[in-house]
Amino acid sequence: MKKRFPLWILGAIGILLVVVVPVAIFWPRQPKAGTDPWKFVPARPVHVDHKDIVKGPFATPQEVTRACLECHPKAAEEIMATSHWTWQSKPFQVPWRDQPVTIGKFNQINNFCIGTPGNQKKCMSCHIGYGWSEDQPYDFSNPLNVDCLACHADPALYAKGEYGNPAKNVDLVAAARSVGATTRNTCGKCHFDGGGGNGVKHGDLDESLILPSENLDVHMGKYDFQCTTCHWTEKHQVKGRLIADNYQVDPKEQVSCEQCHQNHQHKDERLNTHLRSVACQTCHIPAIALEDPTKVYWDWSTAGQEGRKDDHYVYLKIKGSFIYQTNYKPQYRWFNGNLQYRYILGDKIDPNGITYINLPAGSIDDPQARIFPFKLHVAKQPYDKVYNYLLSPITAGKNGFWTLFNWDIAFKEAEKWTGLKYSGQYGFAETWMYWPTTHMVQPATNALKCADCHGPDGRMDWQALGYPGDPAKWGGRFSKR
Amino acid sequence: MKRNHRLILSLILILGASLLGLAIFRQVRANQPASPALQASPLHPPFALLDEEGKNVLESGQPVSTMRTCGRCHDTQFIVSHSYHSDLGFSAYTPSKSSMDASNGLYGEWDPLQYRYLSQDGDERLDLGTPEWLMYFGERIVGGAPTTLSRKGVPLTSLRPGESAESSILKNGRVEGWDWKASGTMEMNCFLCHLEKPNNQARIEAIRQGAFRWANTATLEGYLVQKNADGTYTWIAEAFDQNGRLKHEYVRIQDPTNENCGQCHGTVHTEKEVPLVIQSCSGEGATTGQVISPQYISASGMNIAGKTKLVRAWDIHAERQLKCTDCHFSLNNPVYANQKQEPGHILFDPRRLELGEYLKMPDHNFARGQSAQYNIAPELKGTMRRCESCHDAQKSHANWLPYTERHMAVLACESCHIPQMYAPAIEYYDWTVLKPDGQPQTACRGTDGAIGAEIASLSNMPFTVSHLVEGYQPILLARTNVDGKQLLAPYNLITTFYWVYEDKNGNQRPVRLIDLQTAYFQDGKYRPEILKALDTNGDGTLSDRELILDTPAKQEAVASQLKALGLQNPHIEGRIQPYSINHSVTDGDHAVRNCRACHGDSSRLAQPFKLADYAPAGIMPEMVTETNVKPVGEVVKGKDGAIYYVPQPSKASIYIFGHSRVQWVDMLGALLFAGTLLGVAGHGTLRYISYLRRPRKEIRTQRVYMYEAYERFWHWLQMVAIVILLFTGLIIHRPDLFGAFSFPHVVTVHNVLAALLVLNAALSLFYHLASGKIRQFIPHPYGFFDGAILQAKYYLQGIFKGEPHPFEKRPDQKMNPLQQATYFGILNVLLPLQVLTGLLMWGAQKWPQLTNWLGGLPFLAPLHTLVAWTFAAFIVGHVYLTTTGVTPLESIRGMITGWEEVEVHEEHH
Repeated sequence: MKKRFPLWILGAIGILLVVVVPVAIFWPRQPKAGTDPWKFVPARPVHVDHKDIVKGPFATPQEVTRACLECHPKAAEEIMATSHWTWQSKPFQVPWRDQPVTIGKFNQINNFCIGTPGNQKKCMSCHIGYGWSEDQPYDFSNPLNVDCLACHADPALYAKGEYGNPAKNVDLVAAARSVGATTRNTCGKCHFDGGGGNGVKHGDLDESLILPSENLDVHMGKYDFQCTTCHWTEKHQVKGRLIADNYQVDPKEQVSCEQCHQNHQHKDERLNTHLRSVACQTCHIPAIALEDPTKVYWDWSTAGQEGRKDDHYVYLKIKGSFIYQTNYKPQYRWFNGNLQYRYILGDKIDPNGITYINLPAGSIDDPQARIFPFKLHVAKQPYDKVYNYLLSPITAGKNGFWTLFNWDIAFKEAEKWTGLKYSGQYGFAETWMYWPTTHMVQPATNALKCADCHGPDGRMDWQALGYPGDPAKWGGRFSKR
Repeated sequence: MKRNHRLILSLILILGASLLGLAIFRQVRANQPASPALQASPLHPPFALLDEEGKNVLESGQPVSTMRTCGRCHDTQFIVSHSYHSDLGFSAYTPSKSSMDASNGLYGEWDPLQYRYLSQDGDERLDLGTPEWLMYFGERIVGGAPTTLSRKGVPLTSLRPGESAESSILKNGRVEGWDWKASGTMEMNCFLCHLEKPNNQARIEAIRQGAFRWANTATLEGYLVQKNADGTYTWIAEAFDQNGRLKHEYVRIQDPTNENCGQCHGTVHTEKEVPLVIQSCSGEGATTGQVISPQYISASGMNIAGKTKLVRAWDIHAERQLKCTDCHFSLNNPVYANQKQEPGHILFDPRRLELGEYLKMPDHNFARGQSAQYNIAPELKGTMRRCESCHDAQKSHANWLPYTERHMAVLACESCHIPQMYAPAIEYYDWTVLKPDGQPQTACRGTDGAIGAEIASLSNMPFTVSHLVEGYQPILLARTNVDGKQLLAPYNLITTFYWVYEDKNGNQRPVRLIDLQTAYFQDGKYRPEILKALDTNGDGTLSDRELILDTPAKQEAVASQLKALGLQNPHIEGRIQPYSINHSVTDGDHAVRNCRACHGDSSRLAQPFKLADYAPAGIMPEMVTETNVKPVGEVVKGKDGAIYYVPQPSKASIYIFGHSRVQWVDMLGALLFAGTLLGVAGHGTLRYISYLRRPRKEIRTQRVYMYEAYERFWHWLQMVAIVILLFTGLIIHRPDLFGAFSFPHVVTVHNVLAALLVLNAALSLFYHLASGKIRQFIPHPYGFFDGAILQAKYYLQGIFKGEPHPFEKRPDQKMNPLQQATYFGILNVLLPLQVLTGLLMWGAQKWPQLTNWLGGLPFLAPLHTLVAWTFAAFIVGHVYLTTTGVTPLESIRGMITGWEEVEVHEEHH
């Protein structure tokens, strides 16, 4: 008899299915967890040790760049297309100007050291290009001026000095041999010390982040994130735009919590009801400048006073008087990722009112906007009393304010750089500048709790935000009560 | 404030002060947190402070009369007469010879934690007269009827000093008269609850000094409206405007906040930046360890075990910004009013009080729950909204909690959502002894950490913050709600021991503190007689261990001292008072979620709860009876000498799967199972031996298509279902033996398989009915017993001799009479019984009435277990009998392939 396929096996499978399928249908399940954020964290490749690859000697820094380009021929071309090189945004059409404008350190001002034009000697120590000068326009097209070492050399072996050139006594061969991927330390050289010192500008970025604890920044502290772990970089194009130097930012170019924390809802449903109106940063960054102080106020009008004691945190003759704060509780505003206003050189001001260097866009009526934390930097900075616009003085250099302590000369000298006439009469006007707070993210346990915002001692000024009162009682902007 | 700022600002400008100053000022303001939203009522107008005569206090210099002041707009008489906070049991005051409780509130109720006692009319010995009662309990008395009126209803000020206990105090052991006219009386204190920062300390101070008239005035201390120089108060004119009204910036009126309530009602902590520290284990908060605070436990300042992981608020409702008054609302507050609508078809009655009407006559009886410790205003029990009034528990538990309705029908929400108390709570007060400092022996729950206990015993110090707080799991007791529903809810049990005597008038009364002190102490030291009887190690001092009346001799030594004071029949009583725990609630993430916390041997529902380290002279304390808590358990003495409350859930008709077991059912079932196993093993062995001894005999066999495909399918499906059901049932029955299995998943599998089994059985029944094969299962009445005996004889004798089966197994007649009888029993009795009991157990959530009517879980579950054992035993026998075919495995092969080799029985053809 021919051996037949034992049909009973089919029966056995059938019985198995009849049992397993209903059990599977009724199997108790945990609610779906959010997508694993680690899925999106880029792998950090091991960088090739260049110790034996780089040969010297190098007479000029440009020779170092030439050596780099031999193996990385596209590197210079790539970086020269980015704002790290141009120090300017793409052109924006803004409503209060006829012509498109670009914004950046290259041509606009802030309310810290004010403006770079004419101050190349000092300011360009943070530009990734060599060979700046006050006497001739910079050649943005020369790839050999790209300073690879600024970002890739070991900061212990390399530093920048005047006019974007390496500091004196830098051993170029040693620096070139030390190159590697960027770290918190290399990026921090400029980004931690912006505005003239550690923590001055941002408050959420300072040297404490070189070796941070978990409670300073959960990503960089607990998981040792480097800057590029979140600021994804492709072809030297670093993701993430600073709103202070832009007008509108394409969300695709911006870093966000959601790029890794997708579908990541809180277990607590009550918290999830906040997500449409409150940015992640608002709760997860309860305060900044946790270890190192940040500058919140800068009064240029007192600069140049004779006989006053210099103190980095209180008064410097060259800069005026300051207020620093640690554990700074942010200001909260609606923010949709763009600006509604950015001061462009030549814009008229009301010297008796507040001039916004930048003003975040968004309001309670803007569904795209969420309540967002900002560091507010207030300054008294010079303006022209006749023309009613802000002035960008020459500070560095032999005729600069820091040498002669003469404002008139400093403003007159700047005319050729800014193209704005100086009338001979100056005053000081109050300016406000908003810095979005996105670093120093806290572990969930340190995040803001209900009572931090709601109730009698909450930190939100609900009416200023456009609510009739505390939304816990009065209802949120999407609810009808 | 803002106006002030602007003023300063403009001055600076005018004076041409440096721009720096201005800028800094602006900057500082910009960085200030938003100015705190004013708590104060936005509409309350400025008001004049009036005295008892209705004159402005600024003119008269007299104390403020709240009744007059607030009475200008609010109906203060209505408020006082509608406030159990003010009444405190005064209106229910009825003296009693046998009961030590003369009322249901602070005014007359015996509270052994406080110990001091408001003597009843006609008591032989005065402990507290009304004036001293007010001084002693002042911090918890808001004022009103009991502090202005006598029990006969006349003003206290009309009583002659010493006329009765109401105008007498005990001074240096002697009764003296109290002049109410001089001290004045204390009106209900509106300020205490309606000011942001009432000065309760100053108020208490005034009360303690007997300056009752000034107590309400003292509450305003700190508002700069009055000056207090050694008890002489003067009003400050600057605080009043030209019309004699208090300026708005001095005093503002607000709705009561949590801090206001917390002045009397336990631990309330609202400061965000200040870590919570509880330094004592006494007072209202320590009766349970409840803490009302939005602060996270991990952020508190106490040494709490595992604190870093307790990343949750002390109380979720406080965290979510609820106020005490949101749940304990004024009963006629139109915002919250909770009236039962009549007639029943009305869902909402819009005819509500207007806000103005409400503000004129706000009911100061507040919605209340069903606590076991507060007996006042019993008619208002259950007026509060409860968890389920605001939360839809079905929704929030739907995703993970099996049998949600069943759980909700048995457990109060608090049982799982208050899993553990993390603040110290009182365990017992033993007033039968006095420590050298005049205090009783006490113990604190939740601080039993080795370190804490050791330090406490070594240093003889009360609980301090340095102790390790471990917290404690509340005991779950059956609470009967006003609607008659019984639920398990969490409690603390506080045990107290104290001396009781019978006075000359035949009243049962607690021994007064002063008498107890006299019995124990002489000239500030223990009496020699006491020392002699209690100092067992003879070192001349009494340690905590010695200061226990654990022998009749010690007890007698104290009793004789009390008798010497003229107290008749002094004896020790012990009682257990349950304290409801309804606050310190946590959210779902931190609630009890582990099924095994209850469904297992060490079920929370049955954990012994320590009551005291010892029972003085073997007196077992008794649970107080005047509560809605029905104790279903026993007070027992443990091996360590301590006494415990051991809950017995079965007595409350609660059957907890995985925990509850009826021992005899399991014994009987196991016996049945083991017996079958043994019988089968014995029979099998004998068969094998006889087989070896027997000469081989050729048996004529033939291959028969015995089982249709469907018959095989349903058989094996049923086999799988029954085996899994037995196994999962066993896990549900004894989860502790099978730790690797997740309880809720096993329950699911059991339920799904049960449904499958019933479905399979029903389809198979249909098949057998439709095909007529059902006949095979029905024993043939004619000759049934003959056949059965024949078959039995075969199993007992013939099978060992290798005889052929007495009945031929044919496709149309597969079963012998014994089989028919067995299946008849299984299919008609056991299976339906098992399906029915199982269905009813599952249905306890859907149709609890039906389940209860048919005996409830305590009856159904053990029955289900017993039948399961029977099934298990049947399977053993069934599998064994399959080996009695032509070859041992032939029948199984037949059931798999359908084709079976069977003996040929010529005579039947």
